Amino acid sequence: MNIMPMLIRRELWEHRFLWVVPLVIAGLIVIAAMFPHASVQIDPEDIATPEKYLGLFALFHSAMTVPQFLLLSVLLPYYLIDCLFAERKDRSILFWKSLPVSDAQTVLSKLLVALAVIPLGVFVLTLFTDVAATAILAVRFHGAQMMGAFLRWDLQTWLRTQGLILAALVMLVLWYAPLAAYLLLVSAWAKRSAFLWAVLPPLAAMLVEKIAFGTHYVAALLGYRLSGKVPIGFVGHAADKAGSGGEHAAAMIERLKPLTALANIDLWLGLAVTVALVWLTIRIRRHQTES
Amino acid sequence: MTQIIKARALAKSYRGVRALDGVNLDIEAGRIVGLIGPNGAGKTTALKAILGLTHFEGELTVMGKNPYTERDSLMRDVCFIADVAVLPRWLRVHQALDFVAAVQPRFDRSRAEGFLSKTDIKSTSRVRELSKGMVTQLHLALILAIDARLLVLDEPTLGLDLLFRRQFYDTLVNDYFDKERTILVTTHQVEEIENLLTDVLFIQRGRIVLSTSVEDLGARYVQLTASTEQARLARQLQPFYEREVFGRVALFFDGRAPEELQQFGEIRTPSIADLFVAKMQGEAA
Repeated sequence: MNIMPMLIRRELWEHRFLWVVPLVIAGLIVIAAMFPHASVQIDPEDIATPEKYLGLFALFHSAMTVPQFLLLSVLLPYYLIDCLFAERKDRSILFWKSLPVSDAQTVLSKLLVALAVIPLGVFVLTLFTDVAATAILAVRFHGAQMMGAFLRWDLQTWLRTQGLILAALVMLVLWYAPLAAYLLLVSAWAKRSAFLWAVLPPLAAMLVEKIAFGTHYVAALLGYRLSGKVPIGFVGHAADKAGSGGEHAAAMIERLKPLTALANIDLWLGLAVTVALVWLTIRIRRHQTES
Repeated sequence: MTQIIKARALAKSYRGVRALDGVNLDIEAGRIVGLIGPNGAGKTTALKAILGLTHFEGELTVMGKNPYTERDSLMRDVCFIADVAVLPRWLRVHQALDFVAAVQPRFDRSRAEGFLSKTDIKSTSRVRELSKGMVTQLHLALILAIDARLLVLDEPTLGLDLLFRRQFYDTLVNDYFDKERTILVTTHQVEEIENLLTDVLFIQRGRIVLSTSVEDLGARYVQLTASTEQARLARQLQPFYEREVFGRVALFFDGRAPEELQQFGEIRTPSIADLFVAKMQGEAA
């Protein structure tokens, strides 16, 4: 019997904010598209050439989706710290453990929610939000020449932009997986104030290193892992090429190569660490009953 | 008889304190066993070990399985209510039914719904909206709809009023128990369950101090109630415990024939509650 779908549904029942907040944001974006906003000014120069136009087009559609993913970078850590801690705090772990569900299944269901179900679900949600908001804007600005031209639908560019976002999302998930596993481990282990236990050890390690050796390796390692530079695959510097908005945006997008992260050994090392941390979390949950 | 639980030299320490100190257990199918002991005697630790919730030393098998390493597969045949009110507060009643139905192959949803229809619990309610008694009813409805071979109850009625407690045990015996199943229960309210039990286990300081069926208990223990003068004579037969009740003395004997004692006063089989007190106080003295 495959019980994973039910374990995932269980997570969405308990942690409703995981899907309620993205839905509310999506709703707000669509509603915002219905109301006039005077600030949208497009310089005819910016969409003068097809390249410039496509760059701006891609930027516009990214702007519809990226806020949702930034939001996830807050929601998911919160979820991960809480999920195995809450069941011990309210003692419901004694109920969950009275059912034939293994600790491995439980821990993996939580990891799956954070690393696959919610990111991909929100990605699909942003596709709908983007299409809906764009359609509303297209109808509203039907007569206006500048905006009308800008809103001209370019399926190929749209698909390429969304494909790029999806690739970056998958790489980000893989890159941040060890951090997710770390938070899950703390969630299963901490007796109280799981949040502090998640944050203090890295800070303490940085401080001790600074005082004892005067070096910053821990901080550098954390900064490297926390920055999304590798998974997004940004090549070169943003300021390399000066230019008007459209050209600049096009150039930016040209230089995002998320899939290059697959060739980065650190991505795979991170995944190996993830496996080890998850294994440890399962072991810890096996002898946990209540805090 | 099929053996459900077998323990040999079961032990568990918490930071140097022996919570279980060499426990031997043999529990067979079709019994209702009361595990009775004072606070801190090791009851909950023993149950946790049996349910795979804690690591242990020594040998312990539940239906032939090691509960600690095989908890998930064991839980197909075992269900438990550990303490009261551990259902998560955010859970809705219909979600609880959905969840258990999906993960527990032996769960009969219509049976659980049947139990719930006799209560005031609405299927859209969240656990946090229910009274303590209703939460227990819900938990019991879920558990009793599972066709399990072993049911473990740890203080299942703690904090409930008398009506709920009575109802709880009535449901347990009338709607659930049969010769195929085994129930292991701990409680402080010994009087309430003493008529249900087929076996009793007394546990003290991590050791089993008495393990007997209720029938054998009547053959082995005698309570004599006698006047102070008669009691003086009866003391020669070495009671292991005595106490004064309304100017008369109750003496407890182990392994004395009733015929020997009849001459001194009234004799009867002690209640489990009285025997428990006698054993615990007697051992301590």
